This record gives sequence, structure tokens and C-alpha cells, in this order.
Amino acid sequence: MPRRDDIQKVMILGSGPIRIGQAAEFDFSGSQACRALRSDGYEVVLVNSNPATIQNDPEMADRIYIEPLLPDVVKRILEIEKPDALLAGMGGQTALNIASNLAHSGVLAELSVELIGCDLRAIDEAEDRDLFNQVCSEIDLPISQAMACNSIEEVLAAADELGKYPILIRPAFTLGGLGGGTAWNTGELVEIASQGILHSQIGQVLIEESILGWQEFEYEVMRDASDNCIIVCTMENIDPMGIHTGESIVVAPAQTLSDRDHQGLRDAALRLIRRLDIKGGCNVQFTVNQDTGEFRVIEVNPRVSRSSALASKATGYPIARMAALIAVGYTLDELPNPITGEGTTAAFEPTLDYAVVKIPRWPFDKFRTADRTLGTSMKSTGEVMAIGRNFEEAMLKAIASLEYGQPHPRPLTLADASDGESMDERAHEPLPDDILANWLKVATDRRLGALVEAFRRGMGIEEVRDGTGNITRWFLHRFKKIAEMEAEIVAADCEARDITEVQMRTWKGLGFTDAHIADAIAGFPASGWNRLPEGRTEIDVMKRRHELAIHPRFRMVDSCAAEFAAVTPYYYATYEGGSAPLGVDHVPAEKKEERQRLVVIGSGPIRIGQGIEFDYGAVHAVQAIREAGHEAIIVNNNPETVSTDFDTSDRLYFEPLTTECVAEILLREGADGILLQFGGQTAINLALPLDDRMPHLSEQGLSCSMMGTSPDAVDEASDRERFEAFGERSIIRLPNGRTGKTPAAIRAAVAEIGYPVLVRPSYVLGGRGMEILTDDDQLETYMADAYIAPDKPLLVDEYLGGAIELDVDAVCDGEDVLVGAVMEHLEEAGIHSGDSTCFIPTQNVSEEILTKVHEWTKEIGIGLNIRGCFNIQFCICRNELYVLEVNPRGSRTFPFVAKATGIPLARIAAHITIGDQLANMEIPRRQTDAVCVKAPVFPFLKLRGLDPAPGPEMKSTGEVMGSHVDAASAYLKARLATELPVPTRGGVYLTVKDEDKGHLIPMARSLQEMGFTLHATQGTARHLRDVGGLDVETCYRIAEGQSPDALDLMRTGKIHLIINTPRNSGGAVLDGNMMRRLAVELNIPFVTTMSGARMECQAIAVAQEGMPEPRRLIVDYI
Amino acid sequence: MIITGFQGESEGARVTVTGGFSPGSGQLGVSKAFIARDAADLLLPNSPSHEHAEASGRGVLLLADGSRHEGDLFGAATIAEGELVFTTNMTGYQESLTDPSFAGQVLTFTWPLLGNYGIAAGISESAGVWPRGVVCRELMMEPDHRHCIGTVHDLLLAHGVPGISGIDTRAVTRRVREYGVILSIFGPIEKEAEMVEILKEMESPDLADLADEVSRDDPVFLNEGATDTEGKPLPRVAALDCGIKYNILRELCTRFEVLWCPPDVDWSELCSTFQIDALFCSNGPGDPAHPGKATAARRTLAQATKQGVPVMGICLGHQLMGLASGLRTYKLRYGHRGGNQPVLDIQTQKVSITSQNHGFAVEDPVKGMLAPHPSGANSGEVDNLTGCDVEVRFINANDRTVEGLDVKGRPAFTIQYHPEACPGPHDANPLFDRFENLVANHMEVKANAKTR
Repeated sequence: MPRRDDIQKVMILGSGPIRIGQAAEFDFSGSQACRALRSDGYEVVLVNSNPATIQNDPEMADRIYIEPLLPDVVKRILEIEKPDALLAGMGGQTALNIASNLAHSGVLAELSVELIGCDLRAIDEAEDRDLFNQVCSEIDLPISQAMACNSIEEVLAAADELGKYPILIRPAFTLGGLGGGTAWNTGELVEIASQGILHSQIGQVLIEESILGWQEFEYEVMRDASDNCIIVCTMENIDPMGIHTGESIVVAPAQTLSDRDHQGLRDAALRLIRRLDIKGGCNVQFTVNQDTGEFRVIEVNPRVSRSSALASKATGYPIARMAALIAVGYTLDELPNPITGEGTTAAFEPTLDYAVVKIPRWPFDKFRTADRTLGTSMKSTGEVMAIGRNFEEAMLKAIASLEYGQPHPRPLTLADASDGESMDERAHEPLPDDILANWLKVATDRRLGALVEAFRRGMGIEEVRDGTGNITRWFLHRFKKIAEMEAEIVAADCEARDITEVQMRTWKGLGFTDAHIADAIAGFPASGWNRLPEGRTEIDVMKRRHELAIHPRFRMVDSCAAEFAAVTPYYYATYEGGSAPLGVDHVPAEKKEERQRLVVIGSGPIRIGQGIEFDYGAVHAVQAIREAGHEAIIVNNNPETVSTDFDTSDRLYFEPLTTECVAEILLREGADGILLQFGGQTAINLALPLDDRMPHLSEQGLSCSMMGTSPDAVDEASDRERFEAFGERSIIRLPNGRTGKTPAAIRAAVAEIGYPVLVRPSYVLGGRGMEILTDDDQLETYMADAYIAPDKPLLVDEYLGGAIELDVDAVCDGEDVLVGAVMEHLEEAGIHSGDSTCFIPTQNVSEEILTKVHEWTKEIGIGLNIRGCFNIQFCICRNELYVLEVNPRGSRTFPFVAKATGIPLARIAAHITIGDQLANMEIPRRQTDAVCVKAPVFPFLKLRGLDPAPGPEMKSTGEVMGSHVDAASAYLKARLATELPVPTRGGVYLTVKDEDKGHLIPMARSLQEMGFTLHATQGTARHLRDVGGLDVETCYRIAEGQSPDALDLMRTGKIHLIINTPRNSGGAVLDGNMMRRLAVELNIPFVTTMSGARMECQAIAVAQEGMPEPRRLIVDYI
Repeated sequence: MIITGFQGESEGARVTVTGGFSPGSGQLGVSKAFIARDAADLLLPNSPSHEHAEASGRGVLLLADGSRHEGDLFGAATIAEGELVFTTNMTGYQESLTDPSFAGQVLTFTWPLLGNYGIAAGISESAGVWPRGVVCRELMMEPDHRHCIGTVHDLLLAHGVPGISGIDTRAVTRRVREYGVILSIFGPIEKEAEMVEILKEMESPDLADLADEVSRDDPVFLNEGATDTEGKPLPRVAALDCGIKYNILRELCTRFEVLWCPPDVDWSELCSTFQIDALFCSNGPGDPAHPGKATAARRTLAQATKQGVPVMGICLGHQLMGLASGLRTYKLRYGHRGGNQPVLDIQTQKVSITSQNHGFAVEDPVKGMLAPHPSGANSGEVDNLTGCDVEVRFINANDRTVEGLDVKGRPAFTIQYHPEACPGPHDANPLFDRFENLVANHMEVKANAKTR
């Protein structure tokens, strides 16, 4: 069937803010869909609340709305825009839910909007468990069945029907699964089931066959309206059933299925997609019992997903683009295969000649108190992918990509078990065997390292398989091989210069990095991999390798195992033997003089503090380079992103962002320059190590400069002492601060500055370990837990209480400075800027101060010799301006600034970086009169054990934007976009620290006037009654253990908003924590600052009047 | 030993084996099912020992273009010589290794890890291992699968076939893609000089009568007396074996009473002695225009078509039908070998993802010889022996080469690809049903004609 001409205008829904379980993959798929439909002549309307995406850049769609993704808002936009069709399958579950809601409520029919790509019935049948079970039984596909039983007799009958143990017992309607378990025989079954019936509120248990320990597979399927179906990719989870696939280490293609197994599952997947009548992409998950070959269908996602992003990057096949084109009528055979070009069609199944490994990136390095156990809900914030010619190479490359501070598995020690910074003394003690056994048994982020360690200690395959609850033997053999090869390198015990060619080729061929080899020949010293003895360092290994002329081969990801010539410039590196020149896939074409080759370093996996905004930065840098007529080359390892889409850059290298890998790419390309300012801290961290290697690399014939701000200038801005020295000789003012390299020096510094102080380690991202300390006890506790060394000092600053914080994003070309925007934080200084809500333009800052901000920004940019972008955090305390810190790189607010002001700072900065001058550029002027608000989105629901309150340490995963003519409406939109409700009536619970009580009364009064019931504990209530004359309902403090306390009120639905400014100490800390935790689970909004509470009240007032009209994004910087 | 296969699959793909190959066992009406050997039988416990020496040490692969690739030897200690081809299947190596169509060739696997799930009993495609040598990136010596009875190394050794691993197979594949299939040799590195000389003298394996090497010598019933559930005898089909894959025979046995015949079986014998109702012609190795047994099979196909007997041909069978209908066959540049080839049905405009393994093709009556080998090798003009016209029904959605022919006015069709899969997807499986229906209609017409 050809292109549909009855549709002209299509609305695409995005997925909203980045959060756990829904990350950048929808920016990638949504961007592909927008691009595909737009270039095919359709008018595209986009709705997405997330300002950090490439998807809502002005050139991506014809009409863009950065508005909350809520059914009512989308309905209103549909009324305004009157599109012919709605494409919902590109925006994850968020978009699908909205589409389903609008379809069921009749809105789509009423407005004559057709849901394309995936119809309502398909969504319902895939999403509704009962309907899905019916579908599966209709087409004879086995699913894991649950039988409801109300008595022991019924339980035994159900067990007979299942026919085999183990059996899973789950009580119906209990909290927290009380009374459930796995029974291995009739005795256990009776015991557990009777308990379960007892605990269940309705006296019922569900009897299920246990599929724990079964293998898990995923099939990515495409289908068009003519019923052509293909499998794009198969994937196999290393972790057995029981762990969410997003939390599993995944390999593509499936490794342990025979052709018969695979074709059986393929048939089942095709039968399902046909029965569900899905047109586009979908993902089918299976579980297989490796011992018997039985399988079950687990679920179907009737849309593109995180897995399809992975499958796209693993195979090169652009699933989202094809799904979008299918949605408007094309059939697969009509579409040329975009990888191999004309002469081949999109109706084929990719075949790989390499292995792909994906590892999730968890935030436990930042959230030390969070529960690390992995299970059926997601905790990871992002993921990395790596490609190799064998499993071991792909696995070791993926590990190197994770950036946990250690690029390869090392022998485990007690330091690994410490929840804090690595501790020198503990690094000498091997991890005890019982802890290791536990790490193997309980799936956490630590299990991967434990697998290698188990084989390092000589454990057998079966022992590890049993200890891990059935990890497939094939994978265990591969980990064993890594451990054995590592032992061989350790045994070599030689200087790097004595490594033989055969050794080097063998080790590199299995994926060992230079750093890993160096560490192993040095015997994995307790001092760490980056402090190795002379002659055995990483750089020594690299030099030896180059002496032996051993470099990686760059292979093409071509979807066809080299059967056809591919046209997509998408590569990975691998080490394999032989010297035949035809082994080389990528021979860079001869350079044209006028075109430079410039390499942009991406930002790696999405993590707290380094999100999608740095991918946005990298993509804009690429665009600027191409605009300037040069060749843009990108290096990144995150499969979810737009930057790793093969047609974003001139050449894409899917590689770990390590010095070694980047250096090899520079050599291979003969790069003229490298841009490190756009990929967040990951890229910046490469500056010094690359600078160190430049002399060696130039001996290898490379003449490559670090574009933009020099490594020395980066160091001056980042190094505390150097920056303080700069402050001394310039007009700017810094808070009183000291650096301490020993506990004694830190105590002295604190004494000099006086409490409260802000302490943090130097050179970190996202404010890890930053705390506000108010007394000696807290200081001692902090220091006991922190890692302090001469090269890793602690920074101690005067804490500026009650200050207004400002963020400035700017660009400097050495002569001029362009200020993109001055942003005012809603919360006072002390809350991490990444977690703050901020406004453009500023709302409470005087002209005088603003002028000063501009002057100082210029002073800093020029004084620090910045070439490109930088970000400054200021604060205003008692009408004095202070500089808190300077980041000599792109900041996380760049995309927000671009969308709020129309000034594409990242792109302008990239132009400067590659040599242009501001004076020569046409800078768009601010194009909107609206107030724009950026608000953070937190992962509290997913991560237990984390205090749900913002503080100096960054906790948010993503952000949303709201804009309107007035600040209150803009804030309301942003708040709604975070997907927490804004109450318009009901009860408010008030509990604030003493110093905030004075400000509480006017706020409480306005809440009461708006019709809210006020609740508070005795002290606060008395204050509000006596001083403010307000009606307040009194409840008990939680610690009093009497009813009703705040928790009771919340559970009974009496509380719709909580205003709680956390105290730093005393019993109220725990009270507050418990209350916020419950609020998170009950989806009750809470505010933790007085300024936030005031804004919330204003937003409620607006909301009571009705939702402000959606506003089209009007910026144009093409 | 009973091995029950993947549950929940279609009945046709279910495996119940005790080693060996006997698709008629347990079939309705069959009292004495024929049992043939399965290539993996040699790995079963108590199987007879073989006399092949085990390869070890460094080896070298030499290609006719002068390139050399060092690697590690495995399988049997002998020198491999043949035409180097590649397959892009990521699974199904056992089926490929035992596919007689690979006779005369050195088979390169583009998927770099060979042997992940080992070798299983009862799923081979023939009694032997047919490539003359196997080239791979990495050999898996610790396979993992519930059906595994040995490694790829064990299978190759038992059948006297050498292998070489550690080869940059991508480089080799690119060579073949860019310049066409090429003669090659590999063996111990010490014998390199000797191998260089052999390679200089090497002739194309297409010159040998490969169909003869891989096929049966005498006709035999696989499931004599087979009936449907109502006790009615199944129609009788003669399957010409030019190198037939076992799964074709399995598929045929579920629908027909099958006479498994040599390629040069006499047509009159099929008609008079065996009284067949339909004819099937299999896949097989080598040049379809070879004057040996392939040509004998071509003549039989022509006879059957001419007389209106239902005919189905697969792969070589398809090429022979092309020749019989007066179309030329020619050598493809590098052929189609893999499980992801898209085939477009011109009538329905639908695409099937198919399993393919062929180095020759039938010319398109209009567009001629698409994607030819640089040597330009082809059959030359041939006579139409059937007296019928053919039309192209299926084409490859990528290179537009001919993938299937319908004979006009006759119950006969042929396809270039493999509906029996093994390895590969099952999309094309309904083509066996199409044949079944053609035969059923033919039987009805015949019965009506008799009663009249």
C-alpha cells in the first residue's frame, strides 16, 4: 500500500521528562519519527514537556508545544491544531496512555483524529492482562497462568493441574506480598498456601507455575499494513527471569537458541503481532526453560521501546523511522533499506557478524543508601552498549563504558563492599567468600563484578550457576574465559615493553583494554588502576602496542554481515589478527584541504547529573560543525540517544569514552580537532589524559588540537585554588572558602569560616557528597565517611543561607561574551542547581545586580580565557553578588535556555569552539515575552532508601518546562508536567522549621481563603491559630505514635498537599522522611522550601481558575 | 533416547528422534518405516569409531586472489580445497554443515561464534557433512544446550572435514562480496608451499558431477502405506534427490507417501513400476547445467511437466525447471546464502523472509541475467523440453533475481529458496501446502476422469 494522501497533518506525542524506566530512547525514536514524516511532506505537530530533547528543537517539527503531557492539555492542542492523525507509539507508555484515554473518552472520534500506527484495540489487548491472556490462548501461545484458589483443596487441585514444582504462591490483596513464596513440594505448598489464605484480605491465593531461573529473550518485530513481518533483532538477557529486562545485562543477538528454538519463537512473535494487528514496531518478550525447551510469552509492548532503541543501534536498522512511515501507509518492501541504500529493501531481517552487550547504568554510586536489589521494577537511569567481534570483547568494552571510576573488573576487596568512597586500607583485604556468595545470589549492580571474581577464585561453572539462580552456562563460560585470560596476564608479570606481539594480539583480541592489561601486569595493586608503577602504566601499554603496530580495526555496523555494501557511516572498533589490508572496513577517505575533521565526544550513559541535555549539546556541536562545512565525527556509547543515530553525524563511532578508544579514533581519522565541552563531565574528564598522550600521539603522526577552552583553562576554572587565585585578581567575589587535604586542615578551615559550612569533594559531577554541616559532630561524621587524599581535597565554603541563586549560561570567544540567559532559582542556594526550579527571566533580581551579573560573566569568560561555552552559578545574599562556581563546559540548562529564548547557545558555542567569532555571527534576539520555568523530576518512587527531599546533592533524573505570560501560570504548567497533581481543593499539611514559621501565616491564610483545610501538629497549629487567627485541625506528631498523625491523614485521603521544610536534626528528621516517603507512594505533592510553597500557592490560585491555554513554541534559529 | 523438541511449535517442526532419520516412523498406516543415517549419529554413544586424525596447530587459508589468512585448525587433519562461499545465518550451523548443496564448497560463517549450542541428534539435513572445509572467526568448545551431544569440532572430525578458526571472516566475506565466489585452500601452515601449488592447479568444483556425489543410488519408500486419519492412502510423490535436505522429506512425508529416488531414476519406471501421482525435485550442489545427473533430472522434470503431472521443485530443482523450459541458468556473483532474504510474491505483492543457499540462478525472461558472477559463466542457450511457458512468480526483493516460476497451464511450480527452512524462517512453509493442494486437485480430476 502506498503513502496515505488522505492525511496531511500528524500529531506526535513525546514521552515527557527523563525518568527511571523512560529515558532518552524516546527522544531518539520521536526525533526519527518527526524527521521521517516531515521529510515525506507531512506537517508535524509535536507535544512534549521536556525541553532538553532534540525532538522539540524548532527544525524537528512544524509546530511544537512544550506543554504538560496530560489528556486535557493534549485535547486542547488537538482542538487548536486539528491534525488528521495522532501517532502515539513513539512516546513510550506516557503517550500510549494519553492516546488510549483520548480514544476511550471519544475525544479523537469527536475531533475526527485518527489514531495511526497502533489502534486502540491493539493497545487494549496488549496492555490489559486479561485480554492479553485471551489473545494468547486464542492463538495457542503459552503464557504463565495464575489460578485463584480459596481453599487448600483448591490449591492442591491447582498444583495437580500445573503438574510440577516449584510452584509460586501469591496471596491476593495483601500489602508487600506477605505470606507468599515458592514451594518445592506438597508439604511446603500446604504450609505456604495456608499462611497466604490467612493473610489475604479476601482469603485467596494465586497459584502459579514458577518461571524463576528461566531464560529471557526479546524479539523486536516490525509489521506493515500489508502484513509483511520481520524480526529486526533478537536479544537474550544474561540475568534469568525475575529481573526487569531494562535492569538486565542483555546480549544481541540471542546466543544460546538453536535454529529450531529461534524459529519457534520467531513464529510465535509473528503470530502475536498479526493477531494484535500491530502496524509498526513492537517488542515481544519470551521466557524459555533451558532444560526442557518449554516457553511462555511474558508480554508485548505495542510500540517502540527502550529495547527497540537498543535493537536499532545493535543492528543499524532504524525501527522508529520505519514504524513512522508504516503508520502513514508505506509497506516495508516499498522502502529502501536505509543502511545499504538502493537495491535492497527494508523488508529483510538484519543479520549480525558481531556481538552486542548492553549494561544498565545504576545510580547507586551516587545514592549510597538506596536499596541496590534488582527486581521487577527499574532502578537504572540509563545504559551503555558495546560492540565486539566476540562476547568477551563486547562485555569488557561495555564495562569500560559504564564510568563507575574503574574501567575494568578488578579483584574484589572489602573496599568494594564499603558504601562510601574507596578506602585505601580496605582495598588490601580481599572480599570474604561469604559476601561474594551473597553478591552472586542477590541480583544487584555488583553481580557482574562478582561473576568474574568467582572464576578468578577458581569456582566451577555449576557452582556459579547454582549460586546465581541459573545464569546460562554459556555466559558463565565466557566470564570464566575472561578470568583465565586475566590470570595469564597477571602471570606474565612483565614490563609493558616486554609484552610480545602474540600476547598483545591475544589479549586485545579478547577485549582487554590497555588499562586492564597494565593493571594486570602490575598485579592489580591496592593503590588502584590509575596509580601503577613506572613501566606498567596504561600509557606504557599503549606505547608498546603502537610499537607493535597493533591498532583496532574499524568495522561497519551494516545490518547484513557485509553481504551488501553499506552506505551508513557507523563503526565500532575490534582487535582481530591478520594484516591483510582487506580486513579494514573503514579507511578514511583522503582529506580535502578545506574540510577539517572534528571529533565530538558524547556524554555516555544517562545518569543523575548527566542527562539527555548533554546529548543535546553533542548533537548541536555536530550540527555547527557541519554548518561550518567541516566533517563531524561523533563518539558515544549510549544506545538511547539521538547522537548515536547514524545520520546525525558524518561518522559515528560506537565506542567506550575512554582515553584509549578516543585516541585510536583520532589516529584512524587523522582528526584535526576534538571537542570536549559538549559531552558533560565525561568529555571534560578526557581533557587532561588526552593532553598527556598528545606528544605520543603526535609521534604517531597525529596533529590534533583540543578545540575551544584549553585544558589549562579548564583546570583553572575547576581547580579550587587556582580559581580562588583568579578571584583574588579580578573584580568578582567568591564566598569565603578553603581547601583541606587532611582532616586537621579541614577542621581548621571550618573553624576559620564558621558554621554552617558547605563541604564537598573537588572535581565531581552532580554534587556527589556535597553537604551542609552545622556542627562538629556532623563534620566528624562526614569526614569519617569521605575519602580525603592530597590529590582529592575537600572543599569547605561559607554557607550563604537564604540566598537567591542564579545560573548563567554564556559563550565567550576570547573578546566578547554572549549571555544566553540569567536564570533565577526558585529555591534558595543550598539545593543543587540541577534540582532547582528556575525562571527565565529572573523574577526578583534588581537591574543593578543583573548588570553586575553581566559584567562579572564577561570578566570570567575573558579572564579565564574561555573559548566556547561556560556556565556560572551566582548567588545573591544580603544584596551582595557571589560567584559559587564556574563550569567551563556546556551546562544542563543549555537546551532550556535555547527553548526559552530562541538562542541556540550550544550551537553558537560550537561555532566559537571551531574558530568563529561572535562578532561575525547573527545571534537571534530573545523571541518570546513569556516566562519560562524549568522544573525537576525525581526518582523517589523507584528508589527506596533515598530521602525524598532535594538537597545539595543532585537527585533528579530529568526536567520539564512550562511557559506562559505570567510566572504563576508558567509554574503551574511546569508543575503539572512533572506529573504530580496540583490540588485545587482538599487538605494541606503544614510542618516547617522554626525559622520559617514567620512566613507561614500569610501562606496558610491564602490557602484557607482558597478553600483548603489546614492540618498541623500542635506547635504549628497553635502558632497559626494564636498569631494568625486561622482554623487549623491538629494531629499528632508521628513520633508520638498516636492516631491520627500525618501518615493516617495521608492514608485516609485527607491531605492533598504537604508543605514541609526539613529540619537538619532531631526527631523531626525521621518524621519528615517517613512522611515524604509515604507522600511519594501516594502521589501527594510536597514542597520543601518556603519559596517553593509560595509559588505553589500562586499556581493553585491559577489552577482554580482553569488551565491556562497551551502556547506554541515560537523560536526560530535555523 | 527420545528427545522431545520445542513445545508449542507447529507439528511439522516437532522433533522426536532416537538418532537416525526416519520421517515415516509412527505415521498412520506405516508398518515398516525406512531409517537413514543422520550426520550426528556418529556423536551418539556407542557409535562406530572413525579413523580421521584430529587437526591442531596453526593453519593458513589461501584464496585464489593471492590473499592469505592465518588461523587455528580444528576438525579433521586434512587439507580443504573448494570454492569459498559465505552464509549469513546466525543460527542453524548444523543444518548448513549437513546441507548437501554445500558440496564442493568451503563454507565461511559470517556469524563469528560457531557452535554456541553444540550439535544435536536427529536434526541434521543429511547423513554427511558436505562443505570441504569450514572457516570461522571463533569456535565454541563449551557449547550449551539441552540437546547438545557434541561440538562442531566433534562433528567435523567424525566426518573427516577440516576447519579453520581465528579468521577475519569479515575480510573474507568482503572479498567474496566484491569480487565473487573464489577458489580457496586451507591446511597446516607448514604445507603452505604445497597448497600454493595445488591452488594454482585447482579447477572449479562445478566441473564435477556434484549431484551424483551427494544423492541416493536407488529408490526407496520412506513411509510406504501412509494414510490420512480416515485411512485413505496419501498420494504418492517421487522425490528426486539431487542432494535433498532431510527436512524436505519430513515435510513431504506429512503430506504424501514418499518415494526417495536418485536423480537419474527413469521416468517410465516412476510411472509404470511406482505409479507415482506427483513429482518433486530437490535442491542440490553445483551447476544446474552440468551434463551429469542434474541433466538426467532435468529430463525427468520435463517429462512430468509435459504430461501434466503435478511438479514442485526447490533450489536446484527450480533451476532445472528453468533449463527445461528454455531459460538459461547462470552463476551469481556470490549467491544468496542466509536466512534473511526477502522474496516478493508478484501476484500478492507480499514479502516472505526466506532461507536460501544457491550460487546459480535462472535468468529473468525479460531482464536477463541479474547480479552475475564476473566470470559470466552460464548454461548457454537451451531447448524448451516441456513445451510450456513459464512465468516468474517470485523475485528477490533486493536484487530482483528470479526466485520462483509457475508453469502456465500445468500444476507445476518451482522456487529458488527453501520453504523447508532448517535453518531459517518458516515464512515460506505454506508452499508445501500449495503443492499438496495441486496434487489433491490433480487426483480429483484423475478420479473423475476414471469414473467418467
